[in-house]
Amino acid sequence: MTITNTGNLGPMILQSLAPAMLYVPTPSMNYIIVADKVSMPANGGTTIRFMRPRALQPPTVQLGNSGIDPPAQVPQRDIIDAQMAFFGTGCIINEQVILQDQEGVLAWVSERLAVAMRQAEDLILRDYIVSAASQIMAAGGGNGDNPANLGVSDFSLVAATLDTNNAYKFMSGILGEDRFGSGPVRSSYFMLSSTELQPDFDNMVGSGFISVWNYPNNASALPSEVGSVYNIRILTSSEAPVARLSSARDADVYYNTVLGKQALTHINQDGYSMQLIYRDPYYSGMLAQNATLAVKFAQAQALTQDTAIRNLLCTRLSGSVFA
Amino acid sequence: MAEYSRMAKGSFTATGAYQYVNIPFQPQKVVLVNQTNQIAGITANKVVEAMWDAGTNKTLVKGWDNNSAWNTGTVATNGISAFSANLAFQFGAQQQVVATTGGASTCNFEVTGHGYNTGDVVMFEGLYSTQYTAGMPQMCGIPFTITKVDANNFTVTWASNGSNYTNLAASPSGAYVKKVLYPDLYFPGVSVIYAITKGTSTTIKTTTPHNMVVGQEVAFRITSDWGTSQLNSLPNNTIPGSPIYGFVTSVSDAYTVVVNIDSSSYTAFTSNVAVSNVSGLTFPQMVAVGDVNTGGWPITSTSPYYPSPFVNNTGTSGAYRSINGPAIQGAFANNTRQGFFIGSGTVTPVAWSSATIMANADVVLWYAYLYDYANP
Repeated sequence: MTITNTGNLGPMILQSLAPAMLYVPTPSMNYIIVADKVSMPANGGTTIRFMRPRALQPPTVQLGNSGIDPPAQVPQRDIIDAQMAFFGTGCIINEQVILQDQEGVLAWVSERLAVAMRQAEDLILRDYIVSAASQIMAAGGGNGDNPANLGVSDFSLVAATLDTNNAYKFMSGILGEDRFGSGPVRSSYFMLSSTELQPDFDNMVGSGFISVWNYPNNASALPSEVGSVYNIRILTSSEAPVARLSSARDADVYYNTVLGKQALTHINQDGYSMQLIYRDPYYSGMLAQNATLAVKFAQAQALTQDTAIRNLLCTRLSGSVFA
Repeated sequence: MAEYSRMAKGSFTATGAYQYVNIPFQPQKVVLVNQTNQIAGITANKVVEAMWDAGTNKTLVKGWDNNSAWNTGTVATNGISAFSANLAFQFGAQQQVVATTGGASTCNFEVTGHGYNTGDVVMFEGLYSTQYTAGMPQMCGIPFTITKVDANNFTVTWASNGSNYTNLAASPSGAYVKKVLYPDLYFPGVSVIYAITKGTSTTIKTTTPHNMVVGQEVAFRITSDWGTSQLNSLPNNTIPGSPIYGFVTSVSDAYTVVVNIDSSSYTAFTSNVAVSNVSGLTFPQMVAVGDVNTGGWPITSTSPYYPSPFVNNTGTSGAYRSINGPAIQGAFANNTRQGFFIGSGTVTPVAWSSATIMANADVVLWYAYLYDYANP
């Protein structure tokens, strides 16, 4: 008996495209979350200027009974300038791709361009902070390196530094509730950290670290939040800055940005925020063969309260590799 | 027809054997003409033309070899290459530190065939002569601009002959240096201090270009390990909570500024920190926090009417302009960029005697291309 099988009568078309696209691994974009947002007006030059008044001397000397006015004070202010910069990228797509490919090429390329733009926005803020914010080396973890791995005393020191600088915290605290395993959360600054540090945070459970899952309620928790230590709530991302093999003992150095309100400002250009630009093949050469898809945007950034931001540098407790 | 290709041309006067050229794309082909050598005619060991192609990644040269014969050659390493300075923390390869020699204001590093150029920024790791108890780990993690001594030696500015420093010898395990490829993507920012001269005004010296201008407002973050912690902006005992800033009153060079803070009575700066205190040691820092300027950068004989900011210096040799337009002096600005790099590698074969593509004061014409179609 002869059995007909796919060896001698196979399908004419071997493959079938699955109905949904797979997800694209994309880091949490934390830096834009904590930035103040300001718009620079159109026709306003190249540079945005921020003004911050300085405190006046509190009049703690009594007037006495002489009837003579005390000397006048001269008010002063600090000025912070930031120059606008323009960015963009795009793709040139031949009409045959659009015509013949089974999937909606223009749709998913548009989506990727938009995400690329948002990620650029975040990476620019990240690298700017690395270049502009002052640093504190972690000393609390005790691995002997410089910087050391994180210990709870580092969180305490940085929070105290920002408090001494009269920085504003982002979040009010979360009151304790009668829920097993939970604990109250203090009013907090944010710390933007690497996902690679999460084992170190877990290692501090019971000695200061409260997982977001152990908050009395996590209604105010952000999607990338992993927990808190004292007055600092921790957001992690795989795109947080890491200087590989850069410590005194040749370990990776992590830049944890701890900041309060108004420490970092993101400035967009009025009338020039994110633009997705599609140009039909009609606008290409004489045979109108190529379409273009592109994004462009303008952005400036400034540390508007230098006293309210620090990069807490650290190494890890163990040097295991994430593969 | 080349609908999407890019072409660019220009010229520059070399300030050394290497040069970054910023253009709006990463080229696939670069052609250079050393106009100075071409005009000079037959002169021994002079490159007249150079060409680099991304497909083969080879730098090919023509010119007069060491016997004054017209010859060809290649720059096998550190020739021409495209670059994209876009993200922080891009490093060159780690290289073994063979030995160090500490001095009062500089430290010499022996690194066999380091390949660095004067002006490059490097970082050190593992500078221990005896693991974790002696050596120069105080310098680890700090970005330093180097001065090339020879192919195997360079110096950085740091007082490194104190009692807490021990020279390294015989290639200690784990002692490395690596190049920071793009240390100046954003400016001005935070700089590490290597010396402070006290007085009615205060002179600050930094390990890398400070990118400050006259009128820049600055803050200091100096722990007591380094002495002059009184410069710190907080705490302020006069107006509690109000930070104390200084203003830059003059810029001596790319690494030196004078700030209008009277530091006469302050503690002297020292880098002689004990090795046992290195864990958790925060570096002494000067931070740009604002400015009091009202105008943009002044024009020069070769600049546009509204010039963009200078990077890495203040208008003297070694500076270059950002690719942005005009900005207030002292503003926070971007310096991400792309283009091509002309390295200081030497030409082979041996008929060429350590010739480089260019030398100081040479006028170089360049032509850069990005093609619609390239194979490879």
